[in-house]
Amino acid sequence: MEEHPEGHSEAYARIRSKKTLGEILEVATTFEQKAFEFYTALIPKVSKNLRYLVEELAEEEKEHYELFRKLADNPEIENQIQQRIQVPVEDHHFSDYVQLPDLGEHPDDQAILQYAMGREDAAMKQYRELADSTEPGPIHDLFEYLAYEETMHKRELEKLYYQTVYSGGPGNN
Amino acid sequence: MRPENYQARSQPPSNEFELNFGPNHPGIEGNYAFRVKLNGDQVLEARADAGYLHRGFEKLMEGRLWIQNIALVPRICVPDPVPMEVCYSLAIEEIGGLEVPERAKWIRVMQLEMSRLAAHLFAFGGHAATTGMYTTMFWGVADRDLILDRFEELTGGRVYSIYNIPGGVRRDVPEGFLDRLSSLLDYLESRLPDYDNLFFTNQVFVKRARGVGAMTQEQALKWGVTGPNLRATGLEFDVRRDDPYLVYDQLDFEIPTESGGDALARNLVRRAELKQSIRILRQVIERLPSIEGPIRCPIPNPLAWNVPAGEAYTRVESSKGELAYYVVSTGGDKPYRVHVRGPSSMHAVQVLEKLALGARLEDIAQIMFSLDACPPEVDR
Amino acid sequence: MSDIPYKDKGSILRPFKSLQFFARPAVTQPLEPRPASDNYRGFHVNDWKKCIGCSTCQKVCDNAAITMVRVPGLPEDPVKGIRNERPAIDYGRCCWCGLCVDICPTGSISLTTEYVHTCREDELDSYFVLPDPNGIHGEHFPKGWDKTADADLVDLERQPMGELPGEERIDSFDEIVEGYTEQQAIVEASRCVQCGMCHDACPTHMHAPEYIRAIWEGDVEEAVRQMYRTNPFSHVCGRVCTHRCESACSIGRRGEPVAIRWLKRYAMDAVPDLRIREIAAEGKVDYISGRRIAIVGAGPAGLTAAYDLIRKGHKVTVFEALDKPGGMTRYGIPEYRLPYDRLDADVAVITSLGVQIQYNTRVGRDVTMDELRRDHDAVLIAIGLQLGRSTRIPGSDHPQVRRAVDLLRMITRGESFEVPERAVVIGGGNVAMDIARSLARLQKQQFGKVQITVCALEDFEHFLADPEEVTEAREEGIEILDSRGPKEVVIEDGRLTGLKTLGVISIFDEQGRFAPRYDQQDEQFHPGDMVIESIGQMSDVSLLGEELTERLEWNRGRLKVDEDGHSSEPWLWAAGDMVFGPDVVHAVADGHRVAASMERYLAELDSEKQDDGRTS
Repeated sequence: MEEHPEGHSEAYARIRSKKTLGEILEVATTFEQKAFEFYTALIPKVSKNLRYLVEELAEEEKEHYELFRKLADNPEIENQIQQRIQVPVEDHHFSDYVQLPDLGEHPDDQAILQYAMGREDAAMKQYRELADSTEPGPIHDLFEYLAYEETMHKRELEKLYYQTVYSGGPGNN
Repeated sequence: MRPENYQARSQPPSNEFELNFGPNHPGIEGNYAFRVKLNGDQVLEARADAGYLHRGFEKLMEGRLWIQNIALVPRICVPDPVPMEVCYSLAIEEIGGLEVPERAKWIRVMQLEMSRLAAHLFAFGGHAATTGMYTTMFWGVADRDLILDRFEELTGGRVYSIYNIPGGVRRDVPEGFLDRLSSLLDYLESRLPDYDNLFFTNQVFVKRARGVGAMTQEQALKWGVTGPNLRATGLEFDVRRDDPYLVYDQLDFEIPTESGGDALARNLVRRAELKQSIRILRQVIERLPSIEGPIRCPIPNPLAWNVPAGEAYTRVESSKGELAYYVVSTGGDKPYRVHVRGPSSMHAVQVLEKLALGARLEDIAQIMFSLDACPPEVDR
Repeated sequence: MSDIPYKDKGSILRPFKSLQFFARPAVTQPLEPRPASDNYRGFHVNDWKKCIGCSTCQKVCDNAAITMVRVPGLPEDPVKGIRNERPAIDYGRCCWCGLCVDICPTGSISLTTEYVHTCREDELDSYFVLPDPNGIHGEHFPKGWDKTADADLVDLERQPMGELPGEERIDSFDEIVEGYTEQQAIVEASRCVQCGMCHDACPTHMHAPEYIRAIWEGDVEEAVRQMYRTNPFSHVCGRVCTHRCESACSIGRRGEPVAIRWLKRYAMDAVPDLRIREIAAEGKVDYISGRRIAIVGAGPAGLTAAYDLIRKGHKVTVFEALDKPGGMTRYGIPEYRLPYDRLDADVAVITSLGVQIQYNTRVGRDVTMDELRRDHDAVLIAIGLQLGRSTRIPGSDHPQVRRAVDLLRMITRGESFEVPERAVVIGGGNVAMDIARSLARLQKQQFGKVQITVCALEDFEHFLADPEEVTEAREEGIEILDSRGPKEVVIEDGRLTGLKTLGVISIFDEQGRFAPRYDQQDEQFHPGDMVIESIGQMSDVSLLGEELTERLEWNRGRLKVDEDGHSSEPWLWAAGDMVFGPDVVHAVADGHRVAASMERYLAELDSEKQDDGRTS
């Protein structure tokens, strides 16, 4: 099973090294595609009662992937693609208090959601960092946009997490 | 027809005829049939035929919850509904062991006396009408209307007050009510000389009513006569004095009597009772503001209220006589039997029959009104 | 003697006395309509917002003048106890006694000071009026006879229920509630106005008005009979039900609702167990149908279905993984709320009818679903939510971090475990209160004092646990903190020392969905030797096996069933917490629906068998 690329130091280095908008978007799109492939591969491995979760996650990653692809095809962005960017190196930190689980052979719904949330959280932080370390401009806007998307994605997952995990028991259905 | 088959039949003498006095007649307080056999205009035989106002109250009450009957009982006696409510409530309070708060007792006495005033005004007003003195009747009814205004203010209803429930009364005395009642009593007292001039000392009436429908004290006691009718024969008996209920033992009043036993005496007793009622009401008005407390004792949810098994016979002095209720409970949520001893049951039936004998046709209505015989009470 | 000079013959000038009347002012009455007094009993008005359509006015009217009329468009909510009916008055019958006003539980109906209404012969229908807030002619006359506190005919106060005080009850697992005496029960039952809102609001539509009336009449056996029409778990529900009935009670609008749950408890306790069994057996058919039903899980849902089916002559076998019946009612609800012998009594009624329960038989281990399918005509799984969720915060895999449901099960079975001297409970629902109060008792027994902290995500305004539970827990010495979110379990040298929590800024998002936001700066440390997680539960569906799991349809993690609990496999049903929830009385209602659905299915099987002579 593949580790998630976002937030990992290698991946961060990879995206940081890109100098143009187009390249950055390409890396971001790849991240989403990898996520989509990861979840799709997981679908047959989970038992049918939990499959809905993984299917929904795969669907969402696919939508994100399409979104970034469309962005790349946008003529306005194309003008900026040739600009070069200088991005200073900065320390980044993970401050997450949900343990990232090892998904194992038969993950349960909580583990899947934790993993997905962790992934979105790392991606969100990564783009946030990049946005904060970029001067105002279209690239800054792009990173802001990506950070915003990942944050929204993570929020939706958090709601789903709480609905799924903090349920059952008297008065709680 | 063949002569041998002819059967002679007795025919009444030609100067005798039967007359239906009622059931619809302006000279009757209600609907009541009174068949008289007259010789000219003198009554030879009289037979009372009650039942035209039978509404089946006693049976109806058996099919209704204890509290639902408070809407039925005032309708048993139309001119004087309050003693009905109070007597019914007293009976249930006795069976059920309910403690009526002090304030409620005083309010009940106030209502009873107000109702007595209204009923007496109505009664001698009616009597005046039967003798053709309609002014007195209009005055009586108009002054009674002012009392009904006070009832409306206190209870929410002019005639059928539906205000007393077992345990107390339903609403408290409104602001300023006692002042208005007091000024009404002043007004009524100022009217009494007018009434005296027009009616009670008017020789037209006095000569007309003297000697009509006379009965002796022995006769009255034998026939079950009560109330002002009995007091008009000279016997000083009043349930308020001799079997006190509510707070009458704390009140100061006289029991007026007359000795004639005839229609005039009965009216004079009523006229004197008006003054006594006003006297009682003034005492109540003075005492009531200082009596604090709830106006009823708590009773259970009326839909689920079982009165314990038992029976009670309670009596009050209504304007017409001794009114009594006999209530039997078998422990259920509805009465098993309610019997109403309406005072007019005696007066309108046997007393009237006896007193009408020998009277003139035009005096029959006078006798009935002077007895204050109320057919709704007879028939129920 | 009277003092009126009637004997005085008067003088010839006497008639001239009447000339004085010329000097007096004439009596006049104004021509305008005369306004009635302030508490006059005139025509009705009804505040439709306050009126709930309970029809108590109809019951007290002695002339049967009131009819309840359905008004479409008005709110109708059985759970809150609101009907879209309103009283209509037939003024040909009404006597304006005002009893309807005095007894109205909500105080919506009143009599105004309006008293004039005329109609022609062709308008006689205008005597039948549906009073609304505008009055009979829409002229907004002021209110006359209105509801007052000293004339109220409904009793707004409940009979108090005796309870052991906090310091006393912490010493044992004895039942806290003392129960009503016969006198209290009759008085409490007399408060009921028989409106039937409780019946509509109850998930299993118990005949509460009927059994309350029976209790009032002193006939407790009839009360039990009425309860068993819909609920074979009346001992249980009489103690721990969430009392939707009381929330809908019309007396509860202005006062305290009738104590329907305590009355149920009273009636069930007043009748001997053996007699209850006889009453429950009334109506059982006396033939055997030849059909076999398997039920997995001896909880309220499964056993209610078993009760219904055995009474129809089917052979019912219940497979229970634990060693005693009851499910969460035994292993989740502590003994001080629901004594075990009362639960046993309820189950004994069901087994006395012939239901077989096989204990210590776990489906999936001791017997498979395929075997059940082979040996039975229909299968119901009602396994509840026996697994506790974990927060999975860092440190939560330490052995001293336990799940509340596991601990409650151990306490019920009498299994010993190391009682922590200090404990922290994560969660704010009823289960958290249950484990906290159970541990408090164990702590008091072992250490002589209680040291428990409960940390809940929700704030007290949105607290999930019942308010009585929170109050009683505090009385027992438990500290309850709201708006704290678990962050990390602190472990030093392999020993658990406590829990770190963060403050919760908000719980709901803009759309009102549950999504807490934490305040990273507000961190607190709660010392403890054990952390107990009571955040949620899930059901263990592994018993179905992989193949069956693939065949079935699922709905977001739960087995997909229609409203009768029928799954996508024709022979399989599911009920109770695992598909619907959320409490015992809903499980009972589920059991009934499933049993009825199974009955229809079996009837179809029988008719197919008759049609083509083959067994299905």
